[in-house]
Amino acid sequence: MIKAYILVRTRIGKLEEILKKAKEIENVENISVVSGDYDMIIKVRVDNLEDLMKLTDKLHLIDGIKQTVTYVIEKEISL
Amino acid sequence: MIPAIRVRRKYLFYIVAITSTIFSAVTVGIDTIITSRLSARYPSSEVSWIYGFNTFFIGLITTILICLLLSIRVRGRRLGSVIIDPAFDGLRFITKEEFKYHIFAGLGNAISTIGYFYVLSLMVDPSAVIPFFRVVILYLLLVEMIAEKNAPTLIEVQSSVIVTLGAILGSISISGNIEIAPLAAMFFVVNPGWVLFSISQRKLKLLRINGKPNDSINIRLWNLIFTLVFVIAIMLIHDISTGTSYIADSLRNCREFFGMVAISTSITFFAYVLYIRALGMGKASITEAVRASIVIFSIPVTFIISHVVEIPVPQSTVLWLIKAIGIILVVLGILSFALAQITAYIFIKAKSGVRIEELIEKIWKIRGIESVSAVTGNYDIIAKVRIRTLPKGYERIIRKLESIPDIHEFRWYSVLKEWSTV
Repeated sequence: MIKAYILVRTRIGKLEEILKKAKEIENVENISVVSGDYDMIIKVRVDNLEDLMKLTDKLHLIDGIKQTVTYVIEKEISL
Repeated sequence: MIPAIRVRRKYLFYIVAITSTIFSAVTVGIDTIITSRLSARYPSSEVSWIYGFNTFFIGLITTILICLLLSIRVRGRRLGSVIIDPAFDGLRFITKEEFKYHIFAGLGNAISTIGYFYVLSLMVDPSAVIPFFRVVILYLLLVEMIAEKNAPTLIEVQSSVIVTLGAILGSISISGNIEIAPLAAMFFVVNPGWVLFSISQRKLKLLRINGKPNDSINIRLWNLIFTLVFVIAIMLIHDISTGTSYIADSLRNCREFFGMVAISTSITFFAYVLYIRALGMGKASITEAVRASIVIFSIPVTFIISHVVEIPVPQSTVLWLIKAIGIILVVLGILSFALAQITAYIFIKAKSGVRIEELIEKIWKIRGIESVSAVTGNYDIIAKVRIRTLPKGYERIIRKLESIPDIHEFRWYSVLKEWSTV
């Protein structure tokens, strides 16, 4: 299993629409709207790298997403 | 694959709250029925010991059975790891490291549970007893203040005052009096015991066993074992020193109430598992809020029980009104305490030549950090933070991060809105 954070930059005024579509994508675990030089942080959980690629492809197809940066998680400590 | 339901964190919280609450309310109902039956036969100081023994003894039996069931392998995975805790991999013995925490957790559980049965046998009215359990949030705040030399925020002071006042109003008895003995037992025995229990429990959950996270099923099982040992030890000492027959009386009653107690303790097991899952969502205060909503259910439960056993029911409307106001205050105080939270992501770059594995362990030790991940890419580490106010984020997290020399640079992203998959 692979987990990753995907950072998203969006075009102004599109955020609400993007959120609606992103919520429908499979394997998305958490979506946070943040302030700073990125607009959204999406946490995903997929079976393999190929699925990760498919997922980012789906994100890219959403109108209004300008850029995504993917950080694959190598090790995670959490509660 | 099961289709994922995506909800705002807010709603997720309500789902967990209501399920866990209904479970707990039912067990409180059963507790009340049995203690009131026992009260007819024994003095109330003995009832709490007899029923405490019954609960832990029969609880242990049912828990072992449930645990064995959860250890069954289904398609290579243990049932318990699929439905309850992914960290579960069969029953095991405790490690040396866990031992001391289990001693404290067992002692805390024994103290708070026996104290609670004592109060229940004196007051008989669950709707008067339950609100007081929630005052525990005050103690947790106090412990935190002393341990961290950290001034509480306005919202923390506000909500804890509201909770305490609400609990006092809610506990007014039928005659319109406030009784001192159960009140003192609640403040000085039950709640401190619970604090000891929950803090050690949290420590246990955060321990890593053979490099893997600790699982809630083994923690629960071993906690019951330790608690039972403490209860038996104290009862034995009491029996020998004062010539009572607590243990013999308990064993006699075990058989009579076995069915009811078995049901009650099985439900408790699952209520507890939900509680741990709520802890796994990362917030101790939310978990307390989950437990707080039980207060709402205490009135219908009291009504139902009053048909089974004799419970004095408030006669005047004014008394009901005061009780209702008290209960509303408790819930409101705890909800505002739990939901007033700020989430943020911190992106961290390490200096070159630093071992990331050690660095994430250091960051993980900072309070308020919910998760730390080592990642590939421009940054080395992504940490998720949950705190009460932004100034606390500075005091607790930014200042600590700045004191770690291995960190080259970090960036803070405040979360404005969040959704999670259930």
